[in-house]
Amino acid sequence: MQHPSVVIAREQPSVEELKDPGWARIRDLIYKVSGIYQAENKFYLLVSRCSVRMKAVGARTPREYLEFLTARPNRDAELRDLLNEITIGETCLFRSQPQIEALRKVVIPSLAESKRKLSYTKLRFWSAGCSTGEEPYTLAMILLEETQSTLKGWTFEVVATDLNDRSVAKAQEGIYNDYAVRNVPPDFMKKYFTPSGSNFRVADSVRPFVTFSRLNMLDDSKMLFMRGIDAIFCCNVLIYFDGKSKARTVQHFYNALLTNGYFFLGQSESLYGINEKFRLVHFPGSTGYWKPGESAPKGGAA
Amino acid sequence: MKTGTLDLLRSRITKIDAMPTIPVILRPLLRCLDQPVEQIDVNRIVELVSYDKTIAAQCVRMANSALFGRSEPVESVRTAVMNLGMWRVRDLLFSNSLSQVIPANRWIVDPGVFWRHSLGCALVCRKFAEILGYPDTEKAYLAGLLHDIGILVNSMVAPEEFRATFAKATREQIPLDEAEQATMGFTHSDSGRVLADAWKITPDIAQAIELHHEIGDPGSGGPLVAIVHLSDLLCRLRDLGYGYYEPQQVDFANEPGWLYLVMHFPNLADLDLARFTFTLDQYATEVGELVSTVFAT
Repeated sequence: MQHPSVVIAREQPSVEELKDPGWARIRDLIYKVSGIYQAENKFYLLVSRCSVRMKAVGARTPREYLEFLTARPNRDAELRDLLNEITIGETCLFRSQPQIEALRKVVIPSLAESKRKLSYTKLRFWSAGCSTGEEPYTLAMILLEETQSTLKGWTFEVVATDLNDRSVAKAQEGIYNDYAVRNVPPDFMKKYFTPSGSNFRVADSVRPFVTFSRLNMLDDSKMLFMRGIDAIFCCNVLIYFDGKSKARTVQHFYNALLTNGYFFLGQSESLYGINEKFRLVHFPGSTGYWKPGESAPKGGAA
Repeated sequence: MKTGTLDLLRSRITKIDAMPTIPVILRPLLRCLDQPVEQIDVNRIVELVSYDKTIAAQCVRMANSALFGRSEPVESVRTAVMNLGMWRVRDLLFSNSLSQVIPANRWIVDPGVFWRHSLGCALVCRKFAEILGYPDTEKAYLAGLLHDIGILVNSMVAPEEFRATFAKATREQIPLDEAEQATMGFTHSDSGRVLADAWKITPDIAQAIELHHEIGDPGSGGPLVAIVHLSDLLCRLRDLGYGYYEPQQVDFANEPGWLYLVMHFPNLADLDLARFTFTLDQYATEVGELVSTVFAT
C-alpha cells in the first residue's frame, strides 16, 4: 500500500497531500536560504516543483526529501536544483502585472517628481541579472509609453547586465516566442514588436534605450562603477548567493541608487535580515525597497 | 469638531427610518466571542448553525469545497463544523448574519467585495494581534470584521449621495473616506460609529470603527485602533480592498500606528513584514472561498 503522503509528479496534488507538514518545513528552508516565500495557497505549486526533484533523487515523502536538502553530502547542489525548478518559467515579458502597475502609477510619478525638483529630466533603470532580456525590454517599453504622459520631454536608459555571455547575446537578439510574450498587452504588442517567422522581434524603436553587458555582481571592482541609478530590478538572482555575498551585493545596489531610488526583487522575494538601510515599501499587490534621504526619519523594523 | 460631526450625523440618521437593525443571530454570536476560541462550546455552535437552514447548508457545502474537500463527502452539520473548525464556522455565521443587515437590492458596494474586505481585515487583525502579543485577539478579529459597517449605514441612509461618492472614489482611484469627506461631509467611519453606538457595541471597538482611517494621535486610540488601521491598509494593498486600484506607496515602519505599536509591543520590531505580507495572499484565497460560499445561495 502506498504511503498517504507519497507524491508523484502530476498537475494537481490532493488536499491531503498539501496538508503534510513537511511542505511547510521545505518552504521555511527555501525562505531561509533564498528569501523566496511561498504562501500556503501556493503550496500546490511548491509540491509540483518539488515532486520533479523528488522523482529525480528518489525521495518518496517531503520529510525524506528534506533530508536530501539538509543532511546529504550534495545538499547544496540539490538546493540549487530545487531553486532552479521553483523559478523556472518566471522569465517572460510583462511578468508581474502588480509591479508594472506600481511602476506606472506610483514609482515613475514619484521619481519624476523628486528629480524634477533638481531640474533633472532623465531616468536610468538597471536590470541586474537580466537573463535573456525580457525584463529590460519590458522596462523600456513602459518608460517609452510614459514619455507620452508623466515623462513627457524626458529621456531614459535601461542598463541590462548578466553574468552569462550566452544570455546576453540572446538578449541582444531580442527575439521571443509566443510563450514569452503571452502577458504583453495587445497595444504594446502592436507598437513594440514585429513578427519574425513564428516569433516576435523587439521593435527598433525600443532597442536604442537598452544597453546590454556582461557583469559579475560578485566583482566588487565592477560594481563600484555602477552609479546614478533610479531603480534597480534584480529578480531571482540573489536567491543563489550565500548570506555574505547577498549582503555585499545589496550594499552595492544601495550605493548605486540615487536618493529616493527603488530596488525591486522577485514577486515573493524578501530582503529581511540582509540590509537595514533600505525601507520596505508596499504597493498594491507588490512590495519594493526604497532608498531614503539622509534626513528621512528612521522607522522600526522593515 | 469630530464630536460635532457625529452629533449632527446622529440626529440626521435617527430621523430616517432606514437605520440597519442588528441581526437576531448576532447577539448570541457576540456572546460566544467573549471567550477564547478553544473554550467555545462546539455544541452551542452546532446549535446556532442548525438554527438557520441556509447557514447549515453553507457549512456543509463549504466543508465539501475544494479548499477543505476530503475523499468522504461531509453530510452532517456536526461533521461539517468539526472539519471547518470554529474560526471558519464563525466567519460564515458572521458574514451571513451581517449580510442580512440590509436588503439585497440596497447594496451600493458589491456585497462580495464588502465581505471579502471585512473578513480579510478580521483575519489580518487577529493574526496581527497574535504576532504583537495583544491579549484580546478575538476582539481584534471582531473590530476588523465590523470596521466598515458605516458603508452599510451610508447605503441605507444616503443611497444616492453614497452611490455617487463610491463611483467618484473608484473613478479617481482615491481612498473612499477622502471621497466621502469631500462630497458628503462625513465618512463611513463616522456613520459606522453611530451604528456601533446604536447596536451597543463595546466602546473600544466602536472607537476602532470611528478612527480606522484617521487614527490621529495613536496614543489616545490605543492598540486596537492602530491594529485595525494597519490591517485595513494591508488588506487594501493585498487584493482584499474595495475592489478598485488605489495607487499608493506605504512605508509601514514609519506609519504613526506602527511606531506606536512598536513602543508597546516590542515583538513587532522583529517582525519579518515582507514574509507576513506574502502570507496574506493565502487569506485572499480563503476569504474568496468563504464569500463565494455565502453568496452562492
